Amino acid sequence: MSAPTTLSASDHSTVAGPGGSGPWRGTSVPMQIIILTGRSLRAVVASRALVLLGLLQPLIMLILFSQVFASLAGTSSFPAGVSYIDYLMPAVLVMGSLSVALQSGVGLLDDMRNGVVARFRTLPIASASVLVARSLADVVRHALQLAIMLVLAATLFGFSPGGGFTGVLLAWLMCIAVGWSLSWMFMAIGVWISNVEVMQGVTSMVMFPLMFASSAYVPLSSLPAWLRAVATVNPLTYSVDASRNLALGNPVGVGGLAALGAAGLIGLTGAIVATRGFRRSA
Amino acid sequence: MSDSAQRKEAAVSLFVEAEGITKTFGKVRALDDVSLQVPRGTVCGLLGHNGAGKTTLVNVLTTLVTPTSGHASVAGLDVQRDAVTLRSRIGLTGQFASVDEQLSGFRNLILIARLLGASTKEAKERADELLTAFGLREAAARPAKTYSGGMRRRLDLAASLVGHPDVIFLDEPTTGLDPAARIAMWEIVEQLVRDGSTVLLTTQMLDEADRLADKIVVLAQGKVIAAGTSASLKAQVGKRTVTLTLADKPDAERAADAVRRAGMDPRVSGVDELAGLALTVPVEKSTDLVRVVRALDDVAVEPVELALVDPRLDDVYLALSGGPADSPTDTERH
Repeated sequence: MSAPTTLSASDHSTVAGPGGSGPWRGTSVPMQIIILTGRSLRAVVASRALVLLGLLQPLIMLILFSQVFASLAGTSSFPAGVSYIDYLMPAVLVMGSLSVALQSGVGLLDDMRNGVVARFRTLPIASASVLVARSLADVVRHALQLAIMLVLAATLFGFSPGGGFTGVLLAWLMCIAVGWSLSWMFMAIGVWISNVEVMQGVTSMVMFPLMFASSAYVPLSSLPAWLRAVATVNPLTYSVDASRNLALGNPVGVGGLAALGAAGLIGLTGAIVATRGFRRSA
Repeated sequence: MSDSAQRKEAAVSLFVEAEGITKTFGKVRALDDVSLQVPRGTVCGLLGHNGAGKTTLVNVLTTLVTPTSGHASVAGLDVQRDAVTLRSRIGLTGQFASVDEQLSGFRNLILIARLLGASTKEAKERADELLTAFGLREAAARPAKTYSGGMRRRLDLAASLVGHPDVIFLDEPTTGLDPAARIAMWEIVEQLVRDGSTVLLTTQMLDEADRLADKIVVLAQGKVIAAGTSASLKAQVGKRTVTLTLADKPDAERAADAVRRAGMDPRVSGVDELAGLALTVPVEKSTDLVRVVRALDDVAVEPVELALVDPRLDDVYLALSGGPADSPTDTERH
């Protein structure tokens, strides 16, 4: 086939290049994932303002909750010797994971709507590569956002939990893992709902009760019995507890494993459902 | 690609071949036993209304949709068995620009080249080459979302040409473009064909099919209802006609009688009072115009207007696709 040829601006004659076999016949799956992840990250850099805006919500939550519920730290149901900000911050990290994961789903739908996914489908690449790349790029963005939040919490709000740097680092890593698995769930939901507005409506409706009917803001023992029952089966409670225990330097025990196990299961199911749905929705 | 596939490809002169393609979505038959052949280096125009099945057919041929039954091959590769290989050999420009709006034009083309397997250097060269050729050099660094409709479509077309495709599919390439951008797109397509590309394009616009396509396939409700060159389709439906506009009804009747005596078959159509009455006379050749004029002369009728009209592809299209067949010019006989 004609190798890339010279041409002038007024002449399209070498643009198409007739027939024959081109020099390029696709690339390996890992390479596809690397290229596509790079492309999504480039979009993250391009929309820095949006990334910072994404920090605003958890930050406002942090300010409000740390003020509104500060007096909780003195009550009998609250763990002794723990300041409310140290109690709250690990939960805010989990909430951050949840909203980043939601954005994965929305981002995938945006790609599908703006046509770039349609282009990918015409190329010799595996459809799973597109999804894996999306989730990896979101992991990077997620890790950055959580790190910024931690720095802000430590410098502005006096966040300094008993677990020290190592504890916080572990909590950070766990939240990234949870966020990654949740992003698969939201991508699966997104692919099957295939409508950004509906998706945002549904997820905010689900997220709100999930956040409050959990151990995120107050100890379970301070909840009314029925809410406590809901909170006990809320998977978010396990992530929040694990994140908190890690940060506070408490023993994590089976709870942490349960959190990671649940996340893994959700992630795997999400990955299978998302890939199937994505292939189907031509 | 296997050796046998390569050997097969070498022997291929039909570059797009579809045989009995049917595609159902639930109860809807989007395509019903569609067959199609496009020889190498030619342009095939798929003509049809919205919902006629054009896009579904393109999607089957570009491996995006699996047909319910039937076979299709493109560039000698089976659209189902060799789907992944085939994708590196075709370019598709759809009705909606398939580019990343966040990325610049340059980055978009590089992304595609890299995914096709080009090195970073090769990818940059190819992107530069295409941006220059499509007049997008100035806008190369701007995000695609800032592009005008015409620029976006050109970028999209450039994107589908990155891998030097053997067959180019253009799904309504000019829909939504302003007239200048449309003509620019036509010129690009004509250039692609001069370069020897095989093109399959869909359109709702007859003038577009007429101008660009070597062969036109008319689709309606998922079926091929006609196929042939623009000229042969016109011949199937319409003859040329001499169209006369007459001042009043007595004039029209006298004219019709005279023409009938001259051995021709006129139709009078009732037109509104202001425009007078129209008489259309199908004729075999342009010299028949003289016979019509003589006949009118004999009865001393002077037409307000007189014209020799070629059949238009619109007539063909409407007649074949079962659209509104009774356009005002060929209505009831008097």
